[in-house]
Amino acid sequence: MISPETLMIDARPTRRFAQLALVALVGVGALSQAHPAFAQAARDPQAEQFVQTRAQRVITVLADKNQSVAQKKATFHQAIDELADVPKVTNFVLGKYARSITPDQRQRFAAAFRVYAESVYQNRINDYHGEVLKVTGSTVRKPGDVIVNTTISGGQVGQPLPLAWRVMGGGTSWKVVDVQFKGVWLAITQQQDFVSTIDNAGGNIDVLIGQLQRDAQRSASR
Amino acid sequence: MNGAPSRTSTNTPRVRAGAAALIAAGGLAVSAVSAHAQNAAVQPPLVAAPVANGDSVDTVHDPLQGFNRGSFGFSMGLDHAVLRPVAHGYMAVTPSPLRRRVSAVVYNLGEPSTTVNDILQGKPKRAGRSSARFLINSTVGVLGLWDVATGMGLKAHDADFGQTFGRYGVRPGPYLYVPVIGPSSFRDGVGRVLDFFTDPVGIVGGGYTTTFGATRLGVQTVDTRARADTAFRALDDATDPYVTARSAYGQYREAFVREATGEVQALPDFDNDTSVAPAAASTQPAPASPETAPAPSTTQ
Repeated sequence: MISPETLMIDARPTRRFAQLALVALVGVGALSQAHPAFAQAARDPQAEQFVQTRAQRVITVLADKNQSVAQKKATFHQAIDELADVPKVTNFVLGKYARSITPDQRQRFAAAFRVYAESVYQNRINDYHGEVLKVTGSTVRKPGDVIVNTTISGGQVGQPLPLAWRVMGGGTSWKVVDVQFKGVWLAITQQQDFVSTIDNAGGNIDVLIGQLQRDAQRSASR
Repeated sequence: MNGAPSRTSTNTPRVRAGAAALIAAGGLAVSAVSAHAQNAAVQPPLVAAPVANGDSVDTVHDPLQGFNRGSFGFSMGLDHAVLRPVAHGYMAVTPSPLRRRVSAVVYNLGEPSTTVNDILQGKPKRAGRSSARFLINSTVGVLGLWDVATGMGLKAHDADFGQTFGRYGVRPGPYLYVPVIGPSSFRDGVGRVLDFFTDPVGIVGGGYTTTFGATRLGVQTVDTRARADTAFRALDDATDPYVTARSAYGQYREAFVREATGEVQALPDFDNDTSVAPAAASTQPAPASPETAPAPSTTQ
């Protein structure tokens, strides 16, 4: 026979189990924080230092409220030269067409791409309003090819936003070739965009150049 | 871009899809700050192996491009006509701290679905973390309005059926731009349907037919679109917006799957000689010619 007392005794373990389960869940969760899922490979302090200094500068330039728009533009242009390997990126975004482009087209493309990219990214970084860049680590893919992980915070950024930079070089001489946010690499995406545009124009690179010039004007006027 | 990346922890397929679209676009907009992005500090593994693909990047498998481009054009037109004005209105009348609370509630309701997939992926620690987050944020965090769990060291992460399939080796298959819903693939499309039917909050809340379900869907949709606004603007800057969205979506999803598999990403080689044809052509023959040039003269 089941007495009322037995029932009461049964109820207690149930409640205790629920409590334990909650504690266990929280505990497991907390524990998992203590062990990073991925072991860190070798870091490169010099590449990290480069990104810390140069990428921070780009952000600082745009967050500076004391500069005029024209001043900002000029400083941004210079900061990009110091941060990024512009010739390498310019070549990369052409993908397969980097092999068939004529010297004249290459020159015109480089000029148009530079104006387009600066106009677009200046707007984008402005939207983003981040102010402080902090390096959180780096991974050496191979000597001279490093991915530096950072977070951006401050300004209107609620919580730190992760951003990764692929830098190439060595010693104290580094340059950024690509930037990644949430798994999406900027230069890779740009290459696919451009190559598709040229493909759709029957391989005519001039069509892309013309479109970049128009887009830059439109973006600048926004 | 916001959300993009992160998480599609919204649970209804429609919302998830919307989120994915946004995300795709968002990848570009480095500027977008979504609640999801804010919550999810988990980065895709970047421990990249030195595998060079050459200088050209593989594109997404897209045999249905004709249909997809039409679907993309239609969806963007609809966005301009309906969703964008609604999202912009919402952004105009609400301060961003309030919108962040809304995003947090929406995100919290997606946590149980994340737990389901954590378990299916055989990841008990992650399952413990997402379920603990849901319990804590729903109670101490007042129905998910505040993410107090992150402050306790329980960081957010996402999981969905597309990722679960990827975890077990399923490839994305052909790219698919679902009208209105956004970029997907065969794998992720099936995943979204399963996400919908297995969503614990959806099961308990009773689908779209209940007031709760309908409200949740509406709020999710507007919240997702608002967070993705920067991503949409990034698409406007692209020379081929269709391909840009496809590329960003594909990269985002594969990074998301790598988060579950722990695999490293193969990246293109920026130094590939073949891509710098003019330079390579001029430097290689150059050293050779002085040596070969004297050769004929020395032969007598």
